[in-house]
Amino acid sequence: MNRKLFASLIVLLVTLSMVLTACQPAAPETPAEQPAAEQPAAEEPASTDEVTLRWRTRPDNQAEIDVYSAISEELDAEMDGVSLVYEPGGSESSSYQDVLKTEIGAGTAPDVFWIPGTDVADFATRGLIMELSDVAGDFDTTAFYAGPMFHLTYNPETGANDALWGLPRDVSTFALYLNMDLINEAGAADPRELAKNGEWTWEAFLDVAQKVRALGSDIYGYGANAWWGPYATWLNAAGGGFFTPDRDACALDTEESIAGLDFERSLYVDYDVAVPYGEDSEPPFLAGKVAMFQNGRWATPGVRANADFAWDVVGLPEGPNGPGNWLFWGAYVVNANTEHPEEAWALAQKLTEASTQAKISALGTNIPSRVSQEALDAFLTFTPPDNNQAFLDGIAAESNPTAEGPLWVGNWPEFDAIMGAKVNAVMTGELSVDEFKATICSEANKVFQQ
Amino acid sequence: MLGNAFISIDPKTKNLIRVTSVWHIVLAAVALILGIATAAGSVLLELRGVLRIVLIVICIFTAAASGWAVYELWGFRRRGRTISLVVNYLGFILFFVLSLHFLQVFIDIDKLGETFGRGLIALVGVVIGYLISAFGDRFEGKPELSQQYSKVGKWVALISFFVFLLLVGIIPAIATLISRMANPFIFSLVLMTAVFGFFIWTIWREPSAAALKANNAHKEALDGFLFLSPNLLGFLLFFAGPLLFSLYVSFTDWDAFGNKNWVGLQNYAKIFNLNVQPMDSPDMVVTEVLDTTVYDELTRVKLLGKNFMIGAQDKLFWISLRNTLLFGLLAVPLSVIPALLLSNVLNSKIPGMKFFRAVYFLPSIAATVGVSLIWQWLYNAAVGNINYFITVAVNFFNSTFGLALVDPQIRWLSDTKTALIAIVIMAAWQTMGYNTVLFLAGLQNIPKELYEAAVVDGAGTFRKFWNITVPLLAPTTFFVITTSIIQALQMFEQVFVMTNPPGGPNNSTLTVVLYLYQNGFQRFKQGYASATAWVLFLVIFGVTLFQFQRQRNSEAYDI
Repeated sequence: MNRKLFASLIVLLVTLSMVLTACQPAAPETPAEQPAAEQPAAEEPASTDEVTLRWRTRPDNQAEIDVYSAISEELDAEMDGVSLVYEPGGSESSSYQDVLKTEIGAGTAPDVFWIPGTDVADFATRGLIMELSDVAGDFDTTAFYAGPMFHLTYNPETGANDALWGLPRDVSTFALYLNMDLINEAGAADPRELAKNGEWTWEAFLDVAQKVRALGSDIYGYGANAWWGPYATWLNAAGGGFFTPDRDACALDTEESIAGLDFERSLYVDYDVAVPYGEDSEPPFLAGKVAMFQNGRWATPGVRANADFAWDVVGLPEGPNGPGNWLFWGAYVVNANTEHPEEAWALAQKLTEASTQAKISALGTNIPSRVSQEALDAFLTFTPPDNNQAFLDGIAAESNPTAEGPLWVGNWPEFDAIMGAKVNAVMTGELSVDEFKATICSEANKVFQQ
Repeated sequence: MLGNAFISIDPKTKNLIRVTSVWHIVLAAVALILGIATAAGSVLLELRGVLRIVLIVICIFTAAASGWAVYELWGFRRRGRTISLVVNYLGFILFFVLSLHFLQVFIDIDKLGETFGRGLIALVGVVIGYLISAFGDRFEGKPELSQQYSKVGKWVALISFFVFLLLVGIIPAIATLISRMANPFIFSLVLMTAVFGFFIWTIWREPSAAALKANNAHKEALDGFLFLSPNLLGFLLFFAGPLLFSLYVSFTDWDAFGNKNWVGLQNYAKIFNLNVQPMDSPDMVVTEVLDTTVYDELTRVKLLGKNFMIGAQDKLFWISLRNTLLFGLLAVPLSVIPALLLSNVLNSKIPGMKFFRAVYFLPSIAATVGVSLIWQWLYNAAVGNINYFITVAVNFFNSTFGLALVDPQIRWLSDTKTALIAIVIMAAWQTMGYNTVLFLAGLQNIPKELYEAAVVDGAGTFRKFWNITVPLLAPTTFFVITTSIIQALQMFEQVFVMTNPPGGPNNSTLTVVLYLYQNGFQRFKQGYASATAWVLFLVIFGVTLFQFQRQRNSEAYDI
């Protein structure tokens, strides 16, 4: 045997050995020193007739990942014949939805996954998620808030609410996170007291913001991030909105919508009380430079962890049309290509049970989507903020919240892109409100023609 | 056959070549039947879309190539050897990869990572064996002793490797592999791999090569292609294939999930659909000038005293193209000129210069997302460090010199006037180090004698730089500029991470790649995104071609 052949054989042997060694049995051996109790449930060998379900959410932090993992293990033990594998998805900034869509395209998406409310129509009309009414039978959908369930039961073929696309994981509304140190220093009225007395109006809000702004050139009365949620609430409180009641045309040019937009514009352009539009307002708020920071419940853990000033929350001020808010939600849906629809539906139900939601609500990030006192009580125990009730008041019908929803006709991401750019131009003073009114709907209505 | 008159072929070789010919007949027939069945949409082969087309093409190629191989092999011609080897090699690779896939080797490779640690101790033995063997080289004058060391070293390494395999679990792995191969489908895949492998051997072996009149040049060419094949196959599968696929997709309205209709040139027509209309007055609203059910206002221009409004069916594409070109126009000089100057400084023989070279190169190897997040914080208008230092500087000058400077409070990323510039600064900073290294390599190729001669002639530092360094660096400069332009025109990550919403404010940082990403992955418009990608490709191709043309026409020095 010559040297060349010998060397070739050795290389071949090593390569083949490596490949062969990769073909190990499914369950790896447990190292002797590792306690059996620490073995993750997912790694236990599944019995031959057991169904394995993969599910995914978009957690905001490691604490949420830990809670969801624990819930997955508990439900795994509860559900006979089903083995659960929990996969925490990326954050919004790491394109949770983009990754999910790619996996759906490749046929590797989980059986049950969470999507934002605005995405339901896109996923449903493309056949990516399962219509569940057949497997759900006479499931009681009234146990959840009506706003999200309206969109989750909408049938685009009949126009009636006789379908079922999923169950809402949680809801959230906007509130104003208050830096009480700044407000007290400015000698402004306490917004919480004003709200209690029914005096928390746009004028009172502006007064507080102006007084705080007078404290210094780098101190701001108000801050919000540049996406559709914050400006939607101003439109809402003025009686306006994005769409016509049928949600098939743009309504951004109505008198009411324009009034709401104009008031918000005045905060940035006329009164200069707000963190410049487009800048992330959370860092200056956490740095103690913003008195009133508009955000959802999801911001609470970050404020709790980082704010070293006296803080609390208050509901949004009342506009010309009374109170206004927005009901944000996302839903657990079932992959249209799942091999186990019934088990997946059972998992979606389990994940939205009152007891499960109570555990997640106790983390402080999520408000239960189920109208359940048990879950709401768990949510209220999470303080600070002391005024947790402000978030729940935002959900109440009296607050006139508009439920976040998909567009069954048209294309929401495109509508958002057109609207967002124009609103940005208004808020930075590059476009007048009149110009906005004259042009926005001619441009935005194109997305309903697709 | 003329060739056969001079070359005697042993019966074994002749039979092997005949058997290979028969194999190609069978292969051609099977490929033909499979191709027809796929084209007819047989129940057994319910493939859809591109997969179906790909399979039909593979079948046609296999049938035609195999048929040709039969003809050539039957005549003992050299071309038959080439065709047969190519067909069988591709078949072998295909079935080998399929076998690995269905044997779950690609999935299970993770387990090798888990168990690898258990065998590390044995790998230490392999290293010791090598060291023993290498130690023998020290006894050059005592060949027997040297050989003994070499032999002992080899055995130690071999035994240690065997122990390593046992520790990482080769025995249960082989047992699992055998149990998986009990599946008839998987077994047939492995069998086919072996069959293709066998027919490679029948033609590759030396007597067959001689019988088929393969000369050295022919053999060397095949060896070359064999070594090239991993890269070539990778290129075809993972680059050329998707490229052609995206061209096909650009003529459809595919949403990435199977819903696909052929729309011809509609996507391209939408991109290029512009409308120019005269305006009676410059203040007219878009709804008075354009058909706003189709067009959006792109821009207003004044030509020969008349006002015009330019509308576009897809104004965002044109805005993104403008931003991309503007970005390239600003970012390329900003990343190339400072790099050229810096490389001259770093080329000097001052102690510690290697440290500075490494420091300037660091941003290029840092993760773009991490770097972008840090710059996002630096740029924050309210609490960012950049504005903080500007404020400190303004206050210092005002208090020290009694000036009345106004703190600009620049809204770096939220102002349409500064957002793109902010991205340009960050991108130029990040790529400058890489360009510097390229220039450094170029500088070190310039002969020192030229500078010495210039000094003798009385040239100063600037003259040497301008008349020697710059002209002799021309090839490097060309490379740096060309790659920087291509990179700039593909700008994506920084904008995606740093701006909120990506491309904002008011689309002032929207680049073409970001726009096609948004269309493809967020708006379910893969067809339109592919068309956009091809338009961008043509733009980049045009710019690069122009660069090459200019380079060819110039009298650049080539050292």
